[in-house]
Amino acid sequence: MQDPLKITTHSPDRTRFIGEVIGRAIDTNTVIALTGDLGAGKTVFVQGLARGLEVPADYYITSPTYTLINEYPGRIRLFHVDLYRITSQTELFDIGFDDICDGNGVMVVEWADRLEPGDLSEDISIAINTIDNTTREFCIFFYGRKKTKLLQHLKDILTHQ
Amino acid sequence: MGILRILGIESSCDETAASVVEDGVNILSSVVSSQVNVHHPYGGVVPELASRKHIEMIVPVVSESLFTAGIDGAQVDAVAVAQGPGLVGALLVGFCFAKAYAFASDIPWIGVDHLKGHINSVFLESPSPEFPFIALLASGGHTAIYHVTSHLHAECMGRTRDDAAGEAFDKVAKMLGLGYPGGMVISQLAEKGEPRAIKFPRPFLDKKEFDFSFSGLKSAVNRYIQTHSETYQDQIADIAAAFQASVVDVLVYKALRAAMEKKCRHVALVGGVAANQRLRDQMRESAKREGIKVFTPSIELCGDNAAMIAAAGYYYLKDPGRLADGFDADVYSRAKK
Repeated sequence: MQDPLKITTHSPDRTRFIGEVIGRAIDTNTVIALTGDLGAGKTVFVQGLARGLEVPADYYITSPTYTLINEYPGRIRLFHVDLYRITSQTELFDIGFDDICDGNGVMVVEWADRLEPGDLSEDISIAINTIDNTTREFCIFFYGRKKTKLLQHLKDILTHQ
Repeated sequence: MGILRILGIESSCDETAASVVEDGVNILSSVVSSQVNVHHPYGGVVPELASRKHIEMIVPVVSESLFTAGIDGAQVDAVAVAQGPGLVGALLVGFCFAKAYAFASDIPWIGVDHLKGHINSVFLESPSPEFPFIALLASGGHTAIYHVTSHLHAECMGRTRDDAAGEAFDKVAKMLGLGYPGGMVISQLAEKGEPRAIKFPRPFLDKKEFDFSFSGLKSAVNRYIQTHSETYQDQIADIAAAFQASVVDVLVYKALRAAMEKKCRHVALVGGVAANQRLRDQMRESAKREGIKVFTPSIELCGDNAAMIAAAGYYYLKDPGRLADGFDADVYSRAKK
């Protein structure tokens, strides 16, 4: 496996910025798996991602923990999924997960580690590690050939600033 | 016209619910899948996370509601059903069932906004507030303040920018190892704790605005647990009490400020979090000082239920201008602006 792209952030704004850069760079039919502890900044990241996908600013990106799937219009439709409350493959089917997997759009999945490996076939996987109160380390993996270009693009923007 | 007997159906998230309500006020039955031991044909336990599971629940729950109400299907005058916001796959079950039921019985049906249902839950009991009033809706999935001018008209003055209040309760419960869902456990523990023992932030945002943000508070509790990992187990009641005090302070402050800005003398507290006793008490006490009266539904009408859908449906049906009852009508996933 390739080495992950590692980025350290020191504020929620910077975490949001990483999301925004990725949101601007990706195209439709992209699945992003997102992992990290409670309070790591997963929803903050998705707020940035939404900005990059041009979701109108009057849509608040709220936590989908309870609602399970939140959907937003944008340059590309964004599905924000939270598997926090999911405990089995059956429940995943029950919430209509398969239906949105087939659709056009960007799907970002929080608590993706609740799935069996391979279930999501994600294009990008992002692990947010909490280092201390304000510091977060992002480990970003890209999968598939067309992602090499995306990786280079993100490296250029995120590491040379 | 005689009594209007409405069958209400709710399936926007976890609960499958059905209820029979007369004239928007008289509850003949209110059945909620997770609260009642419904005998359904497949046997087994009712799943906590019911969405397509609604399909298994809808017929038994509706049958139970008719049975409890002591009526048969032919005595239903209209059907009201939650149309959104919610999980589309879950909403569709109740929605399609309601349309089919109305079509087969040749009676009117009406799609009801789930949030308007919560707001109208205060009219199921007396006394009820007078228009215009302020409604604070706080639940697992929603937290918002409305300026309510009629049964059907409510202007959203503010809403959460990240986590809902109920979700913050559940997540803090999870951090403390109390399981999920844990809103009720937190409030029980908080009674034994000292709210001033720990100082958590009050996320007011801009004090002039009515939006909420509970994500930072959740993180503050998490940080406290991390930095006191050796000792926090002995402080769980204090942590619960201090966290609850933060949430309640913010909810009460914003709701009463909204009432004062709109010069409303009545405030309604609705949604699952409205069952929280500390919130009910503090809202009443603080409101009293401002000469404001607070209205809260009974505990069983705070969480998602179908009686509130039937109640709201009554007012929708009496306002034919807003009637969206074509059989091509569809559900919606997010709150209408």
